[in-house]
Amino acid sequence: MEQNHTKRQIKVTRNSLFEQGYLDEQFTQLEDLQDDANPNFVEEIVTSFFSDSTRLIRNVETALENYPLDFCKLDDYMHQFMGSSSSIGAKKVRNECTQFQEYCKARNDDGCIRAFQRVKQEHATLKRKLEAYFQVSL
Amino acid sequence: MTVEEIRGGDNEIDRFPIGMRVLAVDDNPTCLKLLEGLLRKCQYQVTTTNQAITALNMLRENRNRFDLIISDVYMPDMDGFKLLELVGLEMDLPVIMLSGNGDRNLVMKGITHGACDYLVKPVRLEELRNIWQHVIRRKVESKSQSKSKHNHEKSDQGNEGGDQNEKLNRKRKDEEEDEENGNESDDPTTKKKPRVVWSIDLHRKFVAAINQLGIEKAVPKRILDLMNVDGLTRENVASHLQKYRLYLKRISQQANMVVAFGSNNDASSYMRMGPLDGLGDFRTLSCSGRLPNATYAPSGMLGRLNSATGVSLHSLTAPPLVQPNHTQTKLQPVVSSNHQNMNLFQGIPPSFDLDHLQYCNKPNAQLTDVNSIEESQIFTGTNLADYSSIDEPRMFRGSSTFTDPISVLANQVGVKLTSTGTESFNLLSNSSGFLDQSGGNQPPNFSSNLIPVGESYSYLAVINGGFSSNITTTVAVPIEAHGGGLVGDVVQNVNRSLPNQKGPPTLATSALAGYGSLSGPVSHCRPNGSGSTLVQTDHTKLQSGFVSSNGYGSLDDIIPGMMKQEQGATALMNGEFGYNPYIAPDCDYDDEPR
Repeated sequence: MEQNHTKRQIKVTRNSLFEQGYLDEQFTQLEDLQDDANPNFVEEIVTSFFSDSTRLIRNVETALENYPLDFCKLDDYMHQFMGSSSSIGAKKVRNECTQFQEYCKARNDDGCIRAFQRVKQEHATLKRKLEAYFQVSL
Repeated sequence: MTVEEIRGGDNEIDRFPIGMRVLAVDDNPTCLKLLEGLLRKCQYQVTTTNQAITALNMLRENRNRFDLIISDVYMPDMDGFKLLELVGLEMDLPVIMLSGNGDRNLVMKGITHGACDYLVKPVRLEELRNIWQHVIRRKVESKSQSKSKHNHEKSDQGNEGGDQNEKLNRKRKDEEEDEENGNESDDPTTKKKPRVVWSIDLHRKFVAAINQLGIEKAVPKRILDLMNVDGLTRENVASHLQKYRLYLKRISQQANMVVAFGSNNDASSYMRMGPLDGLGDFRTLSCSGRLPNATYAPSGMLGRLNSATGVSLHSLTAPPLVQPNHTQTKLQPVVSSNHQNMNLFQGIPPSFDLDHLQYCNKPNAQLTDVNSIEESQIFTGTNLADYSSIDEPRMFRGSSTFTDPISVLANQVGVKLTSTGTESFNLLSNSSGFLDQSGGNQPPNFSSNLIPVGESYSYLAVINGGFSSNITTTVAVPIEAHGGGLVGDVVQNVNRSLPNQKGPPTLATSALAGYGSLSGPVSHCRPNGSGSTLVQTDHTKLQSGFVSSNGYGSLDDIIPGMMKQEQGATALMNGEFGYNPYIAPDCDYDDEPR
């Protein structure tokens, strides 16, 4: 019973992540790659994503403190961020990164800063949700 | 599964693409992990690295270790396109590009640089399931070509002896050699195409053949016949020719740039040099990679210089080109970093590339190491890639210390000097080719010995210019950078005021000496009126050629360095260059070189 309940809970949690747009089908691909040979693949890759992206966020924050803003560098960081978030299917995070890149292209200081705040927010939210998800599912 | 199992004879076809060995390169750890997972799911054998340099080294260590490479485009240590070109030229392995950006222009760029495919992240499993096609396609293509060439090859057997053949053979596995000849190939799909390494020497023959035939009439079969190299297939030549043509095209596009740089020569002159020095240019073509050690800037300069020099010594007025004072921690061959810079390089002997190649082969290798690099390594072109990353602007940003055409030459030479020894004079010969614009002697003698003088452009100038004695101490000699290869010596020498040539063999001279008596050719060099010491020297040492007692860099230093090189100096030095010392503006030469 408890097991079933947990399984259901996992399923619900997972579905809500998709429904709310936090994750997209790329995440499903990750799950497909998980098998006996790679039993913790999803968690491993998500962990890798968060450690990598946390580092990137720090870099961006530092870069945003130096004026005039180095849009090239910022764009570079975002490009990496985009790459990794799309790799794990972090939909909302990726969208915010795209926004950020738009502002970079437009060389809009304020826009960049604001967009970055949103990136951070989405990133933190996703992290929380996924951590909860893994706790339940693993 | 073991390598043998996978690559071994008949089994392979049954199991392929299972076990196909893929090398995945991506600086983004998350993406790399995903890629690895996906590839494993396809049952490929995956090796990953997050550094392009590491990937290149792995490939260079053993070309046959991988069947396919997948690489990201944006990487911090090296541009993906450069890696692509290097791999394509050096190893002839299929490369798939990967990027978060699916912009049409980027995709186009990837394809034109030789990528088999271009995937956009996030990559899907279905896409990766099909990538093995690229491996098979190559095999089939090479096989069919080698088969058609079979008869021809038979006749060539045993004709070509010497280094090149050995090198070719050495580079191939025995079993592959058969395939190459179209012999008992049981399994077309499993046959592994031997990788041909286009050594300087080989490339030189290639270019010579093309020149002989005329660029329009140069078809692979005829080139192959003229080259007369055992074990080389028409297909090898064809793909090399294709690359070469691309290179030439690029050079021509750069022609304007050269002009812009203030050289008096018009672009066409540069173009002229192209054919002569196929290698040089070619190399730069191949070097699209960024130099790991950012030192290549100077090399870029060299490239430019060289080309400028080569084209018209007298018109070498592109001081900006030369950035002699480039100290390089690594021996970065001056090779004009970009293909773009190739214009300048037109005449530049591939030596640069070689150097670079040599250099690149062991990124950390010092000059000394370079010497040990085989020729085959030299011309992989990939090395060039390293410096290809040199931006043009950088290239031209010369500290203008080097305005001396000789230096340019030297650079060229220097670059070559780094080659493994005696042959290093290839550079020289090449340079001489340029130098001797007027003389027209310059046969593209690329000696395979490139002296791994990454930076020593000045040296080069010396060497080539040996005849022209006005070797300005092309400061550019970044000799210090290298670990001590010839280049270092050369460069240093160059910096010193050139004593009369008759003196102790400077690096240049020694280098020259290695190649045989320069004195002979030197005579025609007609170094500037002023002390064309080089020419005048009686000694066979090359130095005579270079070091003019004009007080420009001293070849003395160079020569000793050269001494280190094995003597194998080939005709490079023999005045073929006809190198009329390209006297630097400040040199006081009264007559035009020639």
